[in-house]
Amino acid sequence: MRLESQKEDNKLAENRVYEVMFIAAAETSDEDVAKLIETLTTLIETEGGSIVKTEDMGRRRLAYPINKKNDGYYVLFEIEGSGKEIAELERRMRVNDTIMRYLTVRVDEERKTAQKLTDKREARQSRNNERNNAKSSAAETDDTAAEETQDEE
Amino acid sequence: MDKKPKKYDGSDDDKKDVDAGTEQKDRMPRRYQRRRNSQFVPDYIDWKDVDFLRRFTPERGKIMPRRISGVTAKDQRRVERAIKRARIMALIPFVTD
Repeated sequence: MRLESQKEDNKLAENRVYEVMFIAAAETSDEDVAKLIETLTTLIETEGGSIVKTEDMGRRRLAYPINKKNDGYYVLFEIEGSGKEIAELERRMRVNDTIMRYLTVRVDEERKTAQKLTDKREARQSRNNERNNAKSSAAETDDTAAEETQDEE
Repeated sequence: MDKKPKKYDGSDDDKKDVDAGTEQKDRMPRRYQRRRNSQFVPDYIDWKDVDFLRRFTPERGKIMPRRISGVTAKDQRRVERAIKRARIMALIPFVTD
């Protein structure tokens, strides 16, 4: 059992999930942005990562000026991989002049903890519901409640 | 050592202190309203969810302290992290004048 769980951990360490968002200059044409996304996608795939989703968020007003510009073109990738492709991707983005800013966030662990929290809450809720049901049925008819508990055992 | 407990028990000094305290309290500026209701925070805080993060960054864009928002310490840390990420990507401002 322990060995199996350890194996799973190793597997997870290799399959990390990242969110990479970048802001391209708003002046770049839609075709150029599409081309840019295309090149980055192929780069990630050749480096061994896989793209879970690509979200084109379009042009947005920046909350504060970056490089004296007030607008930006937002693109979001969700990437699954080992982290090697992230290094290469970040290097490329740093060099690229149209990309004003980028941010990589590793999300798999946070999602896991969030999932744990939800599971816990659901378990607690179902437990409470069961308890309440048991109580109400016991109040209704003592005989049937006793039978039920016996059945459960 | 002997004098100190006597001083505390001494009625005159004690009364003075108590009076001073109440006076100061009256003069103290009124504190802003605390909102200590437990706030709902989702299990997964998305740093891209601007509308949610705005609830914790009132007008000036500062992060709302825990004593006002009423979230747990753990949730506050998670909210904070999300806000800081969103700030880097210019989704929400660092400051607004």
